[in-house]
Amino acid sequence: MHTRTRAIAALASTLMTGGAVGASAASASAEDVSISYFTFSAAPDHLEDLDAIVEAFEAENLTITIEVQTAAYDDYFTSLQTQIAGGSAPDTFELNYENFVTYARSGALLDIGEYVADPDRYYALALEGFSDDRVQYGLPMTFSDVVLIYNKDLFDAAGLDYPTADWTWEDEQAAAEALTDAETGVFGDFQPISFFEFYKALQQAGGTFFDEDGQAMFNSAEGLAAAEWLTSKPGTVMPTLADIGGTPDFDTSLFQSGQLAMWHNGIWQFTGLNESGVNYDIVVEPGSVQSANAVFMNGAVVSEATDHPAEAAAWISFLAGSETTVDTRLASSWELPAVNDDAAFASYLEITPPENRQAVFDALDNIALPPVIERQQEMQDAVTQALESIVADGTDPQEALDNAVDEVNGLI
Amino acid sequence: MRRPDAAVEAPSVADVPYRAFTPERRDPTTTARRLKLFAHYSVMVVCAAALVGPFLWMVLASLKTDADIRTLPPSVVPNPITGENYSRVVDAFPFWRFARNSLVVSVVSTVLQLVTATTAAYAFARIEFKGRGVVFGFYLATMMIPLQVIIVPLFIEMRNLHLVDSFAGLILPTIVSSFGTFLMRQAFSALPRELDEAAFIDGAGHFRVFARVLLPLVGPALATFAVFAFMSTWNSFIWPLVITQASDHHVTLPAGLSRLNGRFSTDWNVVMAGSVMTIIPILAFYLVTQRWVIRSVAFTGLKS
Repeated sequence: MHTRTRAIAALASTLMTGGAVGASAASASAEDVSISYFTFSAAPDHLEDLDAIVEAFEAENLTITIEVQTAAYDDYFTSLQTQIAGGSAPDTFELNYENFVTYARSGALLDIGEYVADPDRYYALALEGFSDDRVQYGLPMTFSDVVLIYNKDLFDAAGLDYPTADWTWEDEQAAAEALTDAETGVFGDFQPISFFEFYKALQQAGGTFFDEDGQAMFNSAEGLAAAEWLTSKPGTVMPTLADIGGTPDFDTSLFQSGQLAMWHNGIWQFTGLNESGVNYDIVVEPGSVQSANAVFMNGAVVSEATDHPAEAAAWISFLAGSETTVDTRLASSWELPAVNDDAAFASYLEITPPENRQAVFDALDNIALPPVIERQQEMQDAVTQALESIVADGTDPQEALDNAVDEVNGLI
Repeated sequence: MRRPDAAVEAPSVADVPYRAFTPERRDPTTTARRLKLFAHYSVMVVCAAALVGPFLWMVLASLKTDADIRTLPPSVVPNPITGENYSRVVDAFPFWRFARNSLVVSVVSTVLQLVTATTAAYAFARIEFKGRGVVFGFYLATMMIPLQVIIVPLFIEMRNLHLVDSFAGLILPTIVSSFGTFLMRQAFSALPRELDEAAFIDGAGHFRVFARVLLPLVGPALATFAVFAFMSTWNSFIWPLVITQASDHHVTLPAGLSRLNGRFSTDWNVVMAGSVMTIIPILAFYLVTQRWVIRSVAFTGLKS
């Protein structure tokens, strides 16, 4: 097809689908354009789903070709950082919320504000999550939250009532102790000792990570309560850190084999749990003085160095908010699209188990977003290591938190 | 009639008194020797098990189903045995293309490393020039600089040469090996200088001495270095990861295999199947070259 004919066809196609961003992209595309997209969330299970989204986009934008590059999450940022530092960043790429600020403040991302035609299409908090200093650098693609997953058979066997949305730490603690059985190798609870669990528990206890001046203050009384809550579990109601060791997916195996009663984990586990046949359900995580739920968000951004900003923005708009994307993600359980469209989720809510799938959305009523700074990874490591030192080395919790606060303040 | 230079023949088994082998005549020295032998073999068996164990586990894990791999406590023997993971690896990404890329890169890089290492080693071992020791010291010092330190400038260099996402970009940074130069220099140094001198008197130049006289004598060292070079290139991960991301065209197996790691969970049985398929070429290469490698280890040379 001649370029001009293809451009007209693309414009006509875009106008028919009513995509405002797509229209600007098509009109800007006088020639064939190739846009690269680098992602960590597609391989290995959702490559075909991503291909379907790419095909749908290319069908609507005949002059744009999407070149997909994938890497495992653990290797993704090594490659991305090298490409950006080397001056050959991909046109568009995926970022998680925690790493977004690092890239936004390094000047690697393009302000795409002028290309966002329909901000109401996205879940407001998620859209805000991919802006920095009131500049929109990215669009939210997906979200996943963490819930309390529990084994119904183990609760039935112990004669205990299932967890409810109004449970607190005390209720969870009591049930965990009742369900733990050393003889049968059943553990009552599993909650990772990590930064991500701590900032959430801190908020559940009524504390905050940073003060108003942006200085770390998680060594407060609430921080101490959160640290003690998390570190009280290993070796009592959950396996020790030595038991867990470096075994990959230890907790997944434990729950799927029916040896774990309660598990703090994300909604991405549903597919695996359904395949395993374990009898489970979910509930919003118990809080302390208040409820707070962890949400993980991934977004798509445009490289500041791209030669085709309009086309790149059109692609990430499609990738984040198109009906094709929403349908594809929901049909394949590939995380949840961050769109402000309750009707789109109706089919998702009908899938069982879990029976109480509504808890996925109930958790969004009280979101605890992770604290972010430019030196994010170092901050996360400092907090995780402080918590591990309490468990493994017997460090005094207050002392460990004081040291971690000093370390984090040194990173800001 | 025996030749005067013939070695003294060892006595045949029939010449040895029978009683030496009878258990009832075993003396304490023999028992102690046997115990020592038993201890030696025990240690060797434990070491061999420690080395072979992970590989065996990898093969067994690659034959497990998804449910079996997640069983706690982990089982050793797969039940049931499935070969499905191998087809899942091939379906997950362009496995054969990645394997071909790995093979091309490893073979070309190994050949070029052999060329650069032997020629440099000859110069360091046989040609006198001012500052030779200092230059060789600097050469060796580069072994202490990890790739992570130079990866960004190296990437920029490749980008400026328009070699990102190309075989040349993958291979060029790997063709000079200071370890290989060191290894080959030691091999050349062990050869008597009389060989070169005789060749020079006969009118040979440096290249002929290198190619015709010395190189054929360092075959075992050459084979050893070839194994090391092939293995390190085949297993190379970070550089192929960053230099080939622009497309799937030049991705090598280790970089491709890492994509089997999921964002939230990983099917380790599939990863293990991929790992088994990945080590087969290295294993084959080693089996072919192992006799030279062993000779190289045992090589005492013709010291002058």
